[in-house]
Amino acid sequence: MSAYIDQFPAEAKVIRSAFYTSFIALALGAAFGLIQTLHRTDIVRVIPSEMYYTVLTAHGVLLVVTFTIFFLVAIFTWAVTTSLDRGVEDIRFTWSWYVLMSLGTLFAAVAILAGFTDRTEMSADVLFTFYAPLQAHPIFYIGLVLFVIGTWLAGADWFRSWWAWKQENPDERIPLPTFMVLTTMIMWYLATLGVATSIIVFLIPWSLGLIDTVNPTLTRTLFWFWGHPVVYFWLMPAYMMWYVMLPKFSGGRLFSDPLARVVFVLFLLLSTPVGIHHQYLDPGIAEGFKFIAMTNTMFLLLPSLLTAFTVVASMEHGARQRGGEGYFGWLGALPWRDPVFAGMALAGLMFAAGGFSGMINAGMNINYLVHNSLWVPGHFHLTVGTAVALTFMAVSYHFIPQVTGRRLASKQIALFQVVLWFIGMTFMSNAMHRGGLLGMPRRTAEPEYDFPFETAIGTVGELNAQIALGGVLLTLSTVLFVANMLITALNDPADDLPSNTIPEPLSGSEDAPLVLDNLKLWTAIAVVLVIFAYSLPLGSIVERGGLFGPGGDAFPMFIEFVEGTVFGLTGDSVSSLVNSPLEWLRAMR
Amino acid sequence: MSSDAAALKDADSPPDESAIERYIGHDEFDPIGTLALIMVYFLILVLMWLFMYFVEFVGNEPTVVGMV
Ligand code: HEM
Ligand SMILES: [Cu+2]
Repeated sequence: MSAYIDQFPAEAKVIRSAFYTSFIALALGAAFGLIQTLHRTDIVRVIPSEMYYTVLTAHGVLLVVTFTIFFLVAIFTWAVTTSLDRGVEDIRFTWSWYVLMSLGTLFAAVAILAGFTDRTEMSADVLFTFYAPLQAHPIFYIGLVLFVIGTWLAGADWFRSWWAWKQENPDERIPLPTFMVLTTMIMWYLATLGVATSIIVFLIPWSLGLIDTVNPTLTRTLFWFWGHPVVYFWLMPAYMMWYVMLPKFSGGRLFSDPLARVVFVLFLLLSTPVGIHHQYLDPGIAEGFKFIAMTNTMFLLLPSLLTAFTVVASMEHGARQRGGEGYFGWLGALPWRDPVFAGMALAGLMFAAGGFSGMINAGMNINYLVHNSLWVPGHFHLTVGTAVALTFMAVSYHFIPQVTGRRLASKQIALFQVVLWFIGMTFMSNAMHRGGLLGMPRRTAEPEYDFPFETAIGTVGELNAQIALGGVLLTLSTVLFVANMLITALNDPADDLPSNTIPEPLSGSEDAPLVLDNLKLWTAIAVVLVIFAYSLPLGSIVERGGLFGPGGDAFPMFIEFVEGTVFGLTGDSVSSLVNSPLEWLRAMR
Repeated sequence: MSSDAAALKDADSPPDESAIERYIGHDEFDPIGTLALIMVYFLILVLMWLFMYFVEFVGNEPTVVGMV
């Protein structure tokens, strides 16, 4: 019966640092979010429009890379140590990956923020989808590499804990939270191969001037190879919270451990071979490959629906134990005044709405209607921007006291904050979806141009007003969150914190088939699926455009470090090295 | 109190265990409310799909598929 910090004081310190880093990113990201919201709706303009991409890149990278991933390494460390009931093997190693991730973030952030000043040539206005032909300063890419290596080491840390635990507990099932961490990390290792290749083999040499050109379709495809699974990297920790913590806060227990394992295995298998669904409109990828990606994507609905069932059933279990009755009446018996519960439940509700717009995005033909329109940010502010972000904020009200040993500053403000986020997002996201249907583009400072968008109901002015209002409420909500966390971190110690425990599921791991814990098997199948989904598309992209592309200029051009020719030649010879077997294959046919 | 209830007691004390009126084990629990909610969600999905058809397709030209 003790809080996390009493059980694992050294680990609590690393976890705390990771939480704080993620909160700083959230605060900065929200500030940029406000600037761009008010700018593109032409309500308040504090930057010149040429700076819009710098703001948008900072918003995207700080929120979906820094905020989410620092937060999740914190909860994954909590999950592994708590569920294995053992500290990390070597705390210096744990600190080392935290430091590496921070250093990487710093590099990337400096490159992005340098875009605001004219004193240096440096910039990284490449948006969080940093593929060619947009080019960033080399330290942006180097920062990303350090960050990703940091996450790899973090994964190694958790695997190491599990192996050590297994030596001592050879016959036991992998505890569910650790199982979730390990499957998610295997997915992450597989997925990051794409982005690591893209950055190390192409983007860094290109930004250094070592090679003149890259193949943009190839860097895009490698980006999306990672760019879809990364959304599950954000989502899996939120799911973990819904599976292992939400039942606890609802006053019940997880409905089924085996179902939870099945879901995580399905995500491991299906997250990666779907990335091409972000490229439905890319020329240079055959429709057949897009169709395969779409089919895999539709299969991904299955684990999400399983999650909806299991999580809602666990909440219902809590509600019935609390005296809830009826088909819908039980909903009223849930602890809605608890900010941790309310935030997570509202996040889940928004995710259900995001599920619908996601199904629209996923369909190859319907996607054409919404592609690159404001609909898309409307969609992902429901998913990563709320299902993930609001769940993270809500559980922070539980975790920060756990890892600091201090009393939560204000439960009332916390409750108000999560509800405010929900309301703000309802306005902003709904209006973004509608704007997208009218054809309003995303990613532009001047969406209005001089084009008269025709609305079926309401006006463009009304849509913009809703987007701006929503953005302001969201920013306010973020300020309340960060302030509450800051005061909590400095608050008096609490001696009555709830103990750091995870309730046993109703249907426990003894009911789960043993094969579910066979991580080697699932890894092998995941690799095979990725090979099936990607080898032909990648092969044909390289065959058509060459490994280093058909030519063309980067934007903007960065300092040429060395005479292009020498390295241009190296580039060409590597390219022909890869191309000749392809030529040969073609000749065989 | 079933053995499940005992497991809950040792396993954990949720923040407001005081609010718990009864312990329900695996076999007594029938998630009928979940079923009801999910049916509502599916109904919404179906209605939205129908709505999408009217908003986006009726009266519009065919989309790009097969046009190039
Ligand atoms: C204070 C709350 C927020 C506001 C006001 C806000 C506002 C916006 C707006 C208006 C855009 C669209 C800009 C455009 O396409 O021209 C945008 C893009 C984006 N937002 Fe947010 N947002 C907020 C929170 C979040 C959160 C919490 C996340 C994720 C955790 C997030 C992730 C993103 C991403 C990834 C983009 C796309 C960037 C790109 O197109 O490269 N936002 N945001
Ligand atoms: Cu995707």
